[in-house]
Amino acid sequence: MISLKINNIDVKGKEGDMILDVAKRYGIDIPHFCKNDRLERIGACRICVVEAKGQQKLIASCCTPIREGMEINTHSRRVMEARRTNMELLLANHDLNCVTCKKNLSCKLQRYAEEMMIDEITFSGDKRLYEVDHSSISIRRDNNKCILCGQCTRICNDIQTVNAIGIQNRGFHNKIAPPFGMNMHESACVNCGQCVIACPTGALTEKSDIQGVIDALRSDKFLIAQTAPSIRATLGECFGMPPGTPVTGKMVTALREAGFDKVFDTDLAADICIIEEATEFIKRFKENKDLPLITTCCPAWIKFGEQFFFEELHHMSSCRSPQAIMASLIKTYYAEKIGKKPEDIVLVDIMPCTAKKFEIKRPEFTGEADFVLTTVELGKLFKLLNVDFINLEESDFDNPLGESTGAAAIFGHTGGVMEAALRTAADWLTGEDLKEIDYKKIRSMDTLKEAELTIGGKQIKACVVHTLGEARRLLEQIRQGTCPYHFIEIMACYGGCIGGGGQPLPTDKERLIKRTKALIDEDEHKDIRKSHHNKSAIKLYKEYLGDFGGKKAHKLLHTEYYKRDYV
Amino acid sequence: MQILRKTELKAYKKAKKIGQKGVIEILSKKGLVGRGGAAFPTARKWQFAIDTKSDTKYVICNADEGEPGTFKDHLVLEKVPENVIEGIIIAAETIAAKQAYIYLRGEYEYLKPKIQKAISSVLKRSGSKVKIDIVVGAGAYVCGDETAIIKSIEGYRGQAYLKPPFPPVEGLWGKPTVINNVGTLANVPQAILFDDWDPHLRLFSLSGDVTKPGIYEFPMGVSLKKLIELGKPKNPVKAVYFGCFGGCMPYKEILLTPENVCGQNCVIGAGTIIVVDNTHSIVDMAETIAKFYAFESCGKCTPCREGSKRCLDLIAKIQSGKATKQDCDTLLDLALHIHETSLCGLGQTATNHLITALKYFREEFEQKCKLH
Ligand code: SF4
Ligand code: SF4
Ligand code: SF4
Ligand code: SF4
Repeated sequence: MISLKINNIDVKGKEGDMILDVAKRYGIDIPHFCKNDRLERIGACRICVVEAKGQQKLIASCCTPIREGMEINTHSRRVMEARRTNMELLLANHDLNCVTCKKNLSCKLQRYAEEMMIDEITFSGDKRLYEVDHSSISIRRDNNKCILCGQCTRICNDIQTVNAIGIQNRGFHNKIAPPFGMNMHESACVNCGQCVIACPTGALTEKSDIQGVIDALRSDKFLIAQTAPSIRATLGECFGMPPGTPVTGKMVTALREAGFDKVFDTDLAADICIIEEATEFIKRFKENKDLPLITTCCPAWIKFGEQFFFEELHHMSSCRSPQAIMASLIKTYYAEKIGKKPEDIVLVDIMPCTAKKFEIKRPEFTGEADFVLTTVELGKLFKLLNVDFINLEESDFDNPLGESTGAAAIFGHTGGVMEAALRTAADWLTGEDLKEIDYKKIRSMDTLKEAELTIGGKQIKACVVHTLGEARRLLEQIRQGTCPYHFIEIMACYGGCIGGGGQPLPTDKERLIKRTKALIDEDEHKDIRKSHHNKSAIKLYKEYLGDFGGKKAHKLLHTEYYKRDYV
Repeated sequence: MQILRKTELKAYKKAKKIGQKGVIEILSKKGLVGRGGAAFPTARKWQFAIDTKSDTKYVICNADEGEPGTFKDHLVLEKVPENVIEGIIIAAETIAAKQAYIYLRGEYEYLKPKIQKAISSVLKRSGSKVKIDIVVGAGAYVCGDETAIIKSIEGYRGQAYLKPPFPPVEGLWGKPTVINNVGTLANVPQAILFDDWDPHLRLFSLSGDVTKPGIYEFPMGVSLKKLIELGKPKNPVKAVYFGCFGGCMPYKEILLTPENVCGQNCVIGAGTIIVVDNTHSIVDMAETIAKFYAFESCGKCTPCREGSKRCLDLIAKIQSGKATKQDCDTLLDLALHIHETSLCGLGQTATNHLITALKYFREEFEQKCKLH
């Protein structure tokens, strides 16, 4: 234990602890931009500087380890002036149009400026001016709002290993951009949006589809919404509710108030997805062919695989993501059922995810889903339409595409898809209705988790990874033939979809754990917790889809992948 | 000049004989310190790397002399490259490194064949198994910073990163790495070999308003006047700059020791002396150096990236005659701020010239300001 003083308070910490983290434990918040607990500390923004007695220069508290006997002052006059000057330097080079900025009122730069009472900027002169990059389907990149904290590039390069964006030029001309003058669309970006949730300013935001949805709502089309498993655990945060508050019923009511004719649950499609994937797995497992099988619910991972691991694509499940399954069912089965032409139905997907915006634009899904709104966008839509979310009554999803099981509920967090798949696969392989269905080992926030089960003397080794860097390590093993697993779940986002690029900010580990708990609670309180027991799903197969993994199911519920070139 | 005495691999042979311990002892007894500016004892630096357990270790020779007015590494590389290579293999074998790199300033690329020849000849004659590669920098001054050199050799952007861990503990590719500059490594064999080797001799690069610019060898503590008179200035000398980033002082007699120079709020650094006579304006000097600085900032940290540009803006305003005395205060505050809060040595020293110019020659700035 190391003892020191921070602002004259006696504090203690472990060897190697940084001043900023120790201060935080004692309730002292030191402002900072470039620090992110999942990333290497770079000490670049210099907003977190503090004064250490006996030291001539100010020091960056995010990356200076504590030492015995230190006397730190985090808010001395000298410190506050230095911090203010750094803020002013950033603001002098900033496109200060807050009222029209997408991050208005949720921007860290703005918040600090307010807290530090910056009412005047000492410096003037040129600003860096950039064209806004609208090219990506998922992400809007506005370098005029960028403060060069480098979180996005560290996420993209170190955590996701996509390397779509980097820091270019030197000095004042530093900028974040894809290589070789490419725009985001041409780059290797997989649209995961992990950079978006890290960005403290309005420089990286989701590409907004709210206007399109409003136009549709005001047209005479038939409006349907589907909501992904994770939305109910995060949407409340947009309205100031504590993280992890489940808001399923209110969300459904709110969507109806907003003008949707039907509100369906993507969870049903998740159950169907499990039925198809488990069928596929058992077939491959019995034939010992193309193993491991890898889940394909995550469009960011799919693009990543298509770019970097094309030769391994036969390991990917051909099953569509729940979003795409539901879209397909709505525009075929449901359209027929209510006697409407698919083009008279507008389907809006409520997703955690910026990559889903890209997914619905894949050519093979043309004519299915019309718009994707992220959780954050949905919150904004409700506010825009004056929906009093907090005080709404609860209501149920519409039928016939509204029933779901506990297995589908947990799709929203890392490990959930695998847990759901194992519940079904184990039942089918044993021919029993197993009681042991909790796979707690794969629910944690570790980025690589394993589960094993033995059925009829045969061992099944399953593995769950989230973040694409972790996925890359696994895929390298597959490439080299050293991968020990039979079944793998990959999610691009840290924590799974509850940590998706369209979720409310901040998305930190603490919140991810609370959101996960909301989904696990939902699962545990459901009467039916196995996908293949979903009555609506079974009925759908009987009425319309035919056999599990059959011909029609394949046509409507499966898809293909393509090699993609990248730079 | 002492630095140009050839050692002809005799020091290497002696080093082999006396072994690791002997080499460290001799260098520490003779008092060899780094010639890059920080004057850190070479033996201690090497000892850190020796004490860190690792199968792989590296030596880097920093030949990234990029500061205007400084050209003594160039002299050494040109005249006695074999001495430098001998120093490198002694360093490598002492810390048990199998690989060494010479990080050569982009503008010195034309010296590469010469150095390459020296490497082959020294390796052949000595029988040393150390592998030495030359890496040519991309011409960024910040790469003179040890950590930025490491990043650059690793193939990343040449940006400084945080210390500690210091390179001798965790350097190139995470392995213990000794980085010494050309001058230091050239002195290694001499210190080992010659009994009369004088640890106090330094090279001074003299330039600016002198008719005989050049490199002069003197002990630390030489008279500034004596040195400048050797350069035969044409006009009365007004100010002396210790390189771009060491700060400036009004011309007067002092003995050039780190302490004395520090007493003038300057840093002697690598011994670069730029002379300014009374025909030149200090504001023009400020502008020239500030431009160089703004161009060389890597852009990683806020104060340096944004501040270097705003310094330039303020100086331009002063030059245009539109500034007020208030702007001179702002410029000084900003210069101090950059010095205090920047991430790496570049930013921390890059405004020394402004801080000292505004201390000693403020009236030159104010004369350009609007009256009020
Ligand atoms: S990024 Fe923040 S400070 Fe900048 S315009 Fe947007 S809200 Fe304002
Ligand atoms: S969305 Fe993902 S892949 Fe694209 S730039 Fe951001 S972090 Fe990189
Ligand atoms: S785009 Fe955002 S996250 Fe990236 S460096 Fe700029 S401000 Fe930071
Ligand atoms: S993990 Fe979920 S939220 Fe993240 S990209 Fe994949 S599908 Fe989207």
